Amino acid sequence: MVNDTGQLYTIEGIAAGLILLLTAFIVVNSTSVYTPGDTHISDMQLEVLGSDALKMMNTAPNSTLGKSPLQTIVETEDTETFRTMFLTIVNNRAGAEPDNIHYLANVTYVNSDGTINSIPLGMTDRLYGGEHAVRVSDWVIVEKQFPGCSAQSCSGKHATLVEVLLWRD
Amino acid sequence: MAGLKDDAQWIVLMGFVVSFSLFFIAIVLNQSTVVGQTTAEAVLEFPKNDIRGVRDVIIQSAVLDDEGGVFNNKTTVQNEIRILSLSRQNSVVNFSSTPPTASNPYTYVDIHYNNGVTVYNETWRSK
Repeated sequence: MVNDTGQLYTIEGIAAGLILLLTAFIVVNSTSVYTPGDTHISDMQLEVLGSDALKMMNTAPNSTLGKSPLQTIVETEDTETFRTMFLTIVNNRAGAEPDNIHYLANVTYVNSDGTINSIPLGMTDRLYGGEHAVRVSDWVIVEKQFPGCSAQSCSGKHATLVEVLLWRD
Repeated sequence: MAGLKDDAQWIVLMGFVVSFSLFFIAIVLNQSTVVGQTTAEAVLEFPKNDIRGVRDVIIQSAVLDDEGGVFNNKTTVQNEIRILSLSRQNSVVNFSSTPPTASNPYTYVDIHYNNGVTVYNETWRSK
């Protein structure tokens, strides 16, 4: 004959176990842990946005053989046009409120002796170190004489890299 | 074993079950903080935009001309692409182009890109 005096205790034990499991489940589910992987997702989106913006600016109107807006901007060092155009593209979003993306842009070129130099292409805000910026870049071939070489051989076409750090405030 | 009271065996067993369950839930929670990190890192590390950009500019440079004399546009631009890739994008790029001939009307550009992790090779052909 089976001794069945512990039946009530058994039921209580199972009930307690279920309650504990349920509690743990609710606790685990109610807090979403913002993992390092999740921060990378917004980085990836920002990177895509920035490189798309540069690509748009580096496309000549109606796919003609003329100069793209970015080419003209680099050749004339027109930081104001860059600012207006870039911010319009990246801050544009559905709804009334524009986004609040900041940038810091540079044009990197090669000196006549093969070393690298950069000239600023404007910024909306200084980088203080706390910002979480991503870097995007696009190549532009420009017809420009960069500072540091005034010789005739330094004019003509040059490959430059427009590099933009952008972050959301 | 004479005087042993064993009425609460089920309770003890349930206690074990519950504690093990909690233990496994803790492991799952612990793992959830790192899941996705390697995936996202792999995506961020993959130089999709760098490759697209350098491929684009190499093809553009292939149709430039060396006028000889003062400007050597093509040579200058192509050298600068190599230097800038190495210093700003940590990648070694090498490329060469084959101009059209009488029997073959296409321009071919061989593109090699290597940043130590990702290698990309392509032979581009003009339309």
